Amino acid sequence: CSAPRPAQAISGSTVPTDPHWLGPRRDARLSPRTGVVPFMALLLLQRRPVAGRVLLVTGPGCPGHGLCRSNVQEQTRRQVALLNATAQDLFSLYLKCQGEPFSSETDKLCNPGGVFFPAFRVNRTSERKEVMVAMYKLFAFLNASLGNITHDQEELNPTAKELLDRLHNTTKTTRGLISNLTCLLCKNYNVFQVDVSYGESSKGKSAFKKKQQGCQVLRKYVQVIAQAARILLPHLSPP
Amino acid sequence: MFSGWNWVAYGLYLFLNICSLEVSGGLVQSCGHIIPESPVLALGSNFTALCVLNESCLDFGNIYANQIIWKIKNRVVPKEQYHEINRTVSSVTFNDTSSLATPLTCNILADGQIEQNIYGITVTLGLPPEKPRNVSCIVHQVSKLTYPMTCTWNPGRRMFLDTHFRLKYKWPRDNFPDCVPKDVNNSCTITDVQFFVNLEVWVEAANALGKAESDPLVFDPIEIVKPLSPHNLSVNSGILPTVLKLSWENRISAAVMKLKFNIRYRIIGETNWMKVPPEDTASPRTSFSVQGLRPYTEYVFSIRCMKEDGVGYWSDWSEEKTGVTTEDKPSKGPPIWRIIDASRSPASWTVHLMWKALESFEANGVILQYEVTVRAKSSLTSPSEKYNVNTTNLTLKLPNGTYEMTVIAHNRVGASPPSILLIPTSNLKAPVKNIRTLPKDGKLWVGWTAPNSYVLKYVIEWCLLSNSSDCIIEWQNEPGNVQGTYLKGPSKGPTVQTKKVGKAEAVLTWNHLTVDEQNGFIRSYTIFYKTVDGNETAVTVDSSKTEYTLSSLTSDTLYTVRMMAYTDEGGRSGPDFTFTTQKFGKGEIEAIVVPVCLVFLLIVLLGVLFCFNKCDLIKKHIWPNVPDPSKSNIAKWSPQVPAKHNFSSKDQMYPKGGFTDVSVAEIEADDKKSFSEQDLKPFDLLKKEKSTSEGHSSGIGGSSCMSFPRQSVSDSDEGETTQNTSSTVQYSTVVLNGYRDQTPVQVFSRSESTQPLLVSEERSEDHAGGSDSTTQKQQYFKQNCGQDETNTDRLCFERAKQITPANEGDLVGFAQLQILGPSSQPLGLGMEKNTQEAALSDVLQTSTEGQSVRHETVEGNPLSVDEMPKSYLLQTVRQGGYTPQ
Repeated sequence: CSAPRPAQAISGSTVPTDPHWLGPRRDARLSPRTGVVPFMALLLLQRRPVAGRVLLVTGPGCPGHGLCRSNVQEQTRRQVALLNATAQDLFSLYLKCQGEPFSSETDKLCNPGGVFFPAFRVNRTSERKEVMVAMYKLFAFLNASLGNITHDQEELNPTAKELLDRLHNTTKTTRGLISNLTCLLCKNYNVFQVDVSYGESSKGKSAFKKKQQGCQVLRKYVQVIAQAARILLPHLSPP
Repeated sequence: MFSGWNWVAYGLYLFLNICSLEVSGGLVQSCGHIIPESPVLALGSNFTALCVLNESCLDFGNIYANQIIWKIKNRVVPKEQYHEINRTVSSVTFNDTSSLATPLTCNILADGQIEQNIYGITVTLGLPPEKPRNVSCIVHQVSKLTYPMTCTWNPGRRMFLDTHFRLKYKWPRDNFPDCVPKDVNNSCTITDVQFFVNLEVWVEAANALGKAESDPLVFDPIEIVKPLSPHNLSVNSGILPTVLKLSWENRISAAVMKLKFNIRYRIIGETNWMKVPPEDTASPRTSFSVQGLRPYTEYVFSIRCMKEDGVGYWSDWSEEKTGVTTEDKPSKGPPIWRIIDASRSPASWTVHLMWKALESFEANGVILQYEVTVRAKSSLTSPSEKYNVNTTNLTLKLPNGTYEMTVIAHNRVGASPPSILLIPTSNLKAPVKNIRTLPKDGKLWVGWTAPNSYVLKYVIEWCLLSNSSDCIIEWQNEPGNVQGTYLKGPSKGPTVQTKKVGKAEAVLTWNHLTVDEQNGFIRSYTIFYKTVDGNETAVTVDSSKTEYTLSSLTSDTLYTVRMMAYTDEGGRSGPDFTFTTQKFGKGEIEAIVVPVCLVFLLIVLLGVLFCFNKCDLIKKHIWPNVPDPSKSNIAKWSPQVPAKHNFSSKDQMYPKGGFTDVSVAEIEADDKKSFSEQDLKPFDLLKKEKSTSEGHSSGIGGSSCMSFPRQSVSDSDEGETTQNTSSTVQYSTVVLNGYRDQTPVQVFSRSESTQPLLVSEERSEDHAGGSDSTTQKQQYFKQNCGQDETNTDRLCFERAKQITPANEGDLVGFAQLQILGPSSQPLGLGMEKNTQEAALSDVLQTSTEGQSVRHETVEGNPLSVDEMPKSYLLQTVRQGGYTPQ
């Protein structure tokens, strides 16, 4: 972070409403850079955590059947491993770029208890299908939340190139992960529909609140992705 | 005649009806049209066009489909290809569109065989796109997080149509925007790709004749990555002298891609790379120790990487880094040999012990010294003697006997194994027979027949037989199991040439021999040089040098020089080179020429000074002024004329000695006024016509050394050219001093003469005569322009001062002042102006040739042009000013 901006006060200030705020989300399906899955993006318009049902398949057969190859399982594992390997750095960089008091009061401000995060109650002994569904729910949420955080940071820290690059890359990786999970669920477990929940939108919140919400989500993300990597290892290891 | 006009009218009627039959709402409607309009056709296909006539044409023009003629450009399509569908529609069919061209026109042959165009279409021919082939993609890593993917393909044949290619790609459930090539049709770059997701890629080609898609490629982009090469490579010496440790940084995260590596290295100066076995570097790492290197050797390293499983592309080789292994003790002792000279004394030998410097791979460092041990074998009790030497030979004087010579090389780390040579009591002949030599492969091969007994090693001695040099013994060791070898030594000698040749020295340069030419390590060079009939001189030069200065050469002499390169095994001479020393050394010519020039200049200068100093003397002795009595005109001295004293302050500027002659012309004037020379000068300078009065001629002819021409110009007309001046030589001399020691005549006289060539002067006189007849007699002074240029300049300066007091020194300004625009208003001089203006104005108009002149005089006496002596009416001088006439 070349020039971190001081955080806004907790109260008393709001971010001016950007009339184009919704634009990027609507266009997300056309912009590979955001990496946000389109359906989720639409749901992000809501202020409250939103539940939805994602149709993985709209017609006969699995989507992109030719692309759902045997290597998708290994690809998924590598994607989770990649996210796990980069999550902590992303969170540290995020903190650094938000400035004080996030750097010094991380535990207090970034406590993820106050933010919605989908439950990830699977373990190594869980059924593979159950794990895949939980993973799908997790990364559907993360993809949307990371897109949201990226958008907020583009406004709050437009010069923090490395942070933005990492957020973009992470978001895109989760998007690829969703694509692979869709493949696996459809092809291996005949799951064509998954109920998903999305996080609370930061639209209209103050800069401080936006930073705090991003911080809380990312901190939780660091914890959960490590768990996911551990769980996924036996399930997705090459035979 | 009537019927002819009828046809014309009818044709015109038809034309109007056919071409612009109906004007409706301001639009001209055609009489028909062709279907299809502007078709794009595939080359080689068949094509049918229809020409449909408007009903109106049938009514007005009485034309029908059977009258239609099809044309391609100006060529009529054969009627066999026509088909009359009905009375208003005609078709034409082409079985092969290759014969088509643009335009295709539908024409009508109306009554009277007048052909009229109905309609035309543009036909575009081309080919439908082929399926793009050979689609391949590569992901180039350009930074730590940026991985653009470039796909290339074969666009296929030329299609003669505007064909668009698009690179399409998608995920299982996501489509992405197409990648549109820029300026090319065979590649496109997707700015960023995502790893670990299968990507389907294909190319679509589309033009007016159709679309074609390549076969899709499905791959995970991680499989086609060309990573950035490792960077920040560093090389460090290890603990062992044969090991160097490499360290580097990878620029791709291990979470993204695990890498394997290739490491290559070479000894610096060599071209062939060696490779670390790939299996040793087939796993992810950031360092590696390269073993098996030579001690004390500088190596160059480079590294590259690719995906660990070998899927993808190797990166480029990294930047090269060098490292030097540490020293180790010499691996072997130096080869040793001796030459025994027993001729000097029967009881003792002179032993020349020689050994060869170790090769670098044997020395393993810098050899600091050699330790030579001499031990007499005959007497076990006698102590050994040790010598530490830095050279590769040692001469010992030893009593007859058997000795064991030991040579050990030392470097910083330690000592080499000893090389031992036994010197026997007698110089026995070796039992080698049948020695033979033959040239082979540009070298000299030596063979021999081995003795029956076991041979540890052979020593071969040889020397170069040459008239120009003594037999210098060379030697080399060969193992005991061979019976022939090449004499080792450079395959060629260095080519020497001169860089600079002087009188007694010459700078020689040469290039190092290539490695292939060296056949070993060049130990030294020897330069041989000689004159045509002189002895050859040899100079030994260090092998690291490429330049040497021969000194103490004889000037202007032809020298022949050649150079030998020596390895431990011998020497080889390069080609002869000749040069000639210079006759004069650097600066010698200058040392001669410069003083001569200086002396010459000094003499000239002295002569000139003498001339100036003795100008009058020279003049009187060599070319005295001899007035022409026949042209003389002696004026009468007028006591009223102001004496020289009247010059007052201006006189101070002319030292008395500076004037040799002063001429005074006396001209009677009614008012008895006179003018000084200075007062007249401005008039002279400003007037644009030649002086017409003899009284204006200065008596300077022949009396001035250098200022004469200029004086003439001043006196006659400043504006006259030198040529005019030189053609007007006026003689007017008043002898102040007596001529040739005669008593000076106390009469001022003026002598004027015009030489026969001076036509203009005569004309001036004529004119002056006219003037004299009309003007009154006046007196004025005329000063000669001194004897030298200084006086002339001073006079001119005085004039300038008089005229432009504001800028006394600026004569150029004065010159400019004389020529101003005609609009310049002359400055008046008060009363003078009033009295003279009317009289002079007419003259001014003619004498100034359209130029008005403005100038000022000293003491605020501006002199207007109107006051100029437009006719040469002279004015007497008053102190400090002019007196109006």
